[in-house]
Amino acid sequence: MRPQRTWLRRITIASSLVLGAVVWQVAGQFASDAFWAPLSATLASLVGVAKSGVLLRQALSSFELYLAGLAVAVAVGALLGMLLARVGWLRVALEDYIMMLYATPMVALIPFILSIMGFGFAPKVLVVFLFAVFPMLYNTIEGARSVRPELVEVARSFHSGEWRLWCDVMIPHTLPFMMTGLRQAIARGLVGMVAAEFFLSPSGLGQMIMMGSQNFDTAGMLAAILLIVLLGVGLMDLGRWLERRFAPWRAYQP
Amino acid sequence: MRAATETKSERISASAEAQPRIRISRAGMRYDAAQVFRDIDLDIGNREVVAIIGPSGCGKTTLLRCIDGLLPLTSGELRLEGEPVRGPREGVAMVFQHFGLFPWKTVAQNVAYGLKLAGRGADAIAAKVAECIELVGLAGFEHYYPWQISGGMQQRCGLARALAVEPRVLLMDEPFGAVDAQTREILQFELLKIWEMRPTTMVFVTHSIEEAVLMGDRIVVLKGRPSTVHEVVEVDLPRPRERRTLTLPRFAQLREHVWSTLMAEALRAEYEVRK
Ligand SMILES: Nc1ncnc2c1ncn2[C@@H]1O[C@H](COP(=O)(O)OP(=O)(O)OP(=O)(O)O)[C@@H](O)[C@H]1O
Ligand SMILES: [Mg+2]
Repeated sequence: MRPQRTWLRRITIASSLVLGAVVWQVAGQFASDAFWAPLSATLASLVGVAKSGVLLRQALSSFELYLAGLAVAVAVGALLGMLLARVGWLRVALEDYIMMLYATPMVALIPFILSIMGFGFAPKVLVVFLFAVFPMLYNTIEGARSVRPELVEVARSFHSGEWRLWCDVMIPHTLPFMMTGLRQAIARGLVGMVAAEFFLSPSGLGQMIMMGSQNFDTAGMLAAILLIVLLGVGLMDLGRWLERRFAPWRAYQP
Repeated sequence: MRAATETKSERISASAEAQPRIRISRAGMRYDAAQVFRDIDLDIGNREVVAIIGPSGCGKTTLLRCIDGLLPLTSGELRLEGEPVRGPREGVAMVFQHFGLFPWKTVAQNVAYGLKLAGRGADAIAAKVAECIELVGLAGFEHYYPWQISGGMQQRCGLARALAVEPRVLLMDEPFGAVDAQTREILQFELLKIWEMRPTTMVFVTHSIEEAVLMGDRIVVLKGRPSTVHEVVEVDLPRPRERRTLTLPRFAQLREHVWSTLMAEALRAEYEVRK
């Protein structure tokens, strides 16, 4: 019964994807080239830029930006989150600023960042960082603050010092929450990457999209978009996998 | 190796033989608003098992925390082997009502926890962990995580973790309160067996009158608000205690005695209306 159901599911998914591709292809055939390109042309364009080496260069440039911003966001979010969870007065002091920044749509800050930091690599990293850091920070704080007091008591009962308490209890407990934060940061960081490449100095896949659009090279533009979509799907899967891997710790309540 | 550790603990206990293992004098404890207990006097001897029983909220857990050094008393004094208790210390281990296992550690890693903190060598830890896991009947489950095993097995793990540090005082906070009735019985008799093999001083908090009679050499009944020692019942049942103990007429007598002491209070508490 069950294997059959999975089969049915797979067939449905596959058919849906094939149908989507067909619709794309047919729609592209009828629409003007300026608005929409068929799937075949898009793929051809993708192969073309891939062969010329442009794709690799631009994708690497994007990825470099993305990883740099994400890494800083994860490190800062995790460390600051732990610190804020443990040091009460610091949390009280910074809480309102964090709330304000979190509530601000990050795109609104981009002109400001541009006028202060100009066009280099650093401001773009800052944009990715700002997009990605808050989910990381929030989930870490929530995780670290939700550590079960019984477990802290167990640690103290076995004469654990503060340092060992962090290694044995605080950090392992917070990890699953950090993974939820990481999954969200992965997704939001990607938005930040494209936004930075659009609105600061154009580069990477964002530049490819912009250039395709400006030159009426619809196939080239769609190729870049398709790549970002696939990248997003892959990264989301990675995030979900990481989150699931740590989920049992989080659910365990004897 | 066993012999070596035996003589060591023998030596320590011999030096402390003159005084009780735990001496609680005029102990009182209050959280900000409420006095939990007051004027508790209790001497607990070497290798004696004292069961503590009393209505919910009377401060049994609080008293254990104080003995473990997790909380300071607000009045009175608590001495362990003659020394005032100032914080958690070596030689005392606690088994928790909610097991207190770390979900990110396997059974073996949980059992090794106390030994690791004590800074033992890897080989010594491995040997001790294997021994304790065997003792509590968890052999074969070393690599399971707490969420993968039953409540009874989780508490076996909690017990093994406490036994692993070779405590001279074992503090049990309703250890079998969170497992089902059948498992609870099994674990009671296994604990008695383990205690016969390596007797330690034990303070056993429980809600169950039968369990208190079965385990204790004495039963301390806490009562009142703030609570005090209402009665200390001597349990003159022979050891080793086994299933057969439950059928002794003396067992029934003691159970009835503790029952009548406690139940008047419980009834009153049940019908109490919040003002
Ligand atoms: N950290 C705390 N702060 C303030 N009050 C507390 C704290 N811990 C316990 N209390 C209160 O102290 C009293 C005694 O609590 P304790 O847990 O020691 O009772 P207990 O006898 O173990 O109860 P139970 O049988 O339900 O486990 C209770 O009224 C409880 O509400
Ligand atoms: Mg309690």
